[in-house]
Amino acid sequence: MIKLLKIEFKKIRTYKVFWILTGLYFVFLAAGILLAEFMINNMVNGVNRRMPIPFPHVAIYYFPDVWQNVAFFASIRYVLIFPAIIMIILITNEFTFKTIRQNVINGMSKTEFLASKLLIILLMAVIMSIVLAAGAFFIGLSHSGLSEVNFFSQGIPFMVGFFISLLCYMVYAFFCGFILRNTGLSIAIFTLYSLIIEPVIYFIFRAPFMFKNTIYTYLPVNSVIRLTEYPAIPMLKKIMGVNLQEHVSLTACLIPIAYSAVMIVTVFLIMKRKDL
Amino acid sequence: MAEPILNVENLSKSFGKIKAVNQLSFEVTKGQVFGILGPNGSGKTTTLSMLLDLIQPDSGGFQWFGQPPSKGSRKRIGSVIESPNFFPYLDAVTNLKIVADIKDKPYNDIADILQVAGLYERRLSKFKTFSFGMRQRLAVASAMLGSPEVLILDEPTNGLDPQGIAQIRDIIAMVASRGSTILLASHLLDEVQKICNYVVVLRKGVMLFSGNVKEVLAVSDSIELAASDKQELVTAISEYPGFSSLTESDGIIQVHFSQPADTAAINSFLSQKGIILSHLADKKRSLEQHFLELLQDNK
Repeated sequence: MIKLLKIEFKKIRTYKVFWILTGLYFVFLAAGILLAEFMINNMVNGVNRRMPIPFPHVAIYYFPDVWQNVAFFASIRYVLIFPAIIMIILITNEFTFKTIRQNVINGMSKTEFLASKLLIILLMAVIMSIVLAAGAFFIGLSHSGLSEVNFFSQGIPFMVGFFISLLCYMVYAFFCGFILRNTGLSIAIFTLYSLIIEPVIYFIFRAPFMFKNTIYTYLPVNSVIRLTEYPAIPMLKKIMGVNLQEHVSLTACLIPIAYSAVMIVTVFLIMKRKDL
Repeated sequence: MAEPILNVENLSKSFGKIKAVNQLSFEVTKGQVFGILGPNGSGKTTTLSMLLDLIQPDSGGFQWFGQPPSKGSRKRIGSVIESPNFFPYLDAVTNLKIVADIKDKPYNDIADILQVAGLYERRLSKFKTFSFGMRQRLAVASAMLGSPEVLILDEPTNGLDPQGIAQIRDIIAMVASRGSTILLASHLLDEVQKICNYVVVLRKGVMLFSGNVKEVLAVSDSIELAASDKQELVTAISEYPGFSSLTESDGIIQVHFSQPADTAAINSFLSQKGIILSHLADKKRSLEQHFLELLQDNK
């Protein structure tokens, strides 16, 4: 296992595209999270102009809500697409450069090849989740006291939820790249599906009171993105008595995990039978 | 009996209706430089791909080192199949390190084989900056990594300029001199003739011929003779040991022998019989002619 990771690391260590996309991901992620409060308040101010009693200023970076809010903004489609594209490039490169053939010729088993890619997905998801958790911790710390951290009741559940989102979404991307084998085509189809086709399906099925348990809930990308379904906004809790999401639902996690499991099994079966 | 390296038995593979490889059987023993010769599309690459587990055979099987194929056996084989496959954005050394990692081989001979391949000065250049010949040499270099017991080369000189071809041949000769077994696929007869000592000839996935390269050449020996008295010459040469047949055209008699014939011996034999030759030429048919004839015969 260490050997496979060592090989994968050599493949990406000096790969500029990988590091540029990873860098862009973190820039978008940080920008999204740090601008979220400003954007929300901008909206609130707009609404307030027409309200007799204005809504108070919205703060989202306080413990314990910061965990949920960071997880929410980190798992929106436009940010999550970056690690997915990185994965597509890493797998389709192996087909484009025929290095998958060469790896097998040189004595790697087909199973080991797939395992090495899945390990890299796992490692990337772990690292990115840890970075996000550290980021959320420092944002929370700079806005509220250490005594309110609430790491175990709020922090871990939402960060693990984000980890599952990221992991499963990268498995989808890996699956897409493995099936299509072509970098441009895979990125185009994956992005189109994630950013346009599923939202359009949502629009169609968005009947009043129906949008919760419709087919939409079970769509692969949506099930990933909706693990942290809503941001935690104290105003809603206090004033309107609405709390949209208390925790990450375990059953909701099972949907993307099931999709990922089916995809991984399919990939192994195809790899076993198909000629390289 | 030499140690068997590879046993192929009734290997077959079809792509749709086309039988790419049909009931192919052969054996490679230790130290052989074994050629697989055939025109484009005769099933050479398909055969090698099956031997390296890239393609699943429809039927038949093979054994490496007397054992069923596994990733372990592939680690003992260095191969170049079709084009050199490397990461274009990585330098030569990193690409070779990945190969070494997969094969569980140390990095310490990387510098040496880069020297042999004439790429040491460019070892830190990205693969995409390499010329065609350099890429091919790097591929051969990577196949040599960790001194494998068997080297498999698929069209190693394809598309190279004469200098590049010479470089690759030198490398192959050096590896062969170390006692490694080499399996070389080529459509170039001249190449097989120069490098290999054993050959199988494929056409449309069927094995037409297999045998020692020297034997193939010996069989095709013929000698051209001419003298003023043609009749006397024909009678005399028919008595020469090893004579098998003759053909005549434009006053020149082409004589075939069942064993290698020496022109000097024939000359002295005929002069003893009082025949003065006006023409004497050794016409060793090249493997190429023989190969083309083999293909013709089996049409």
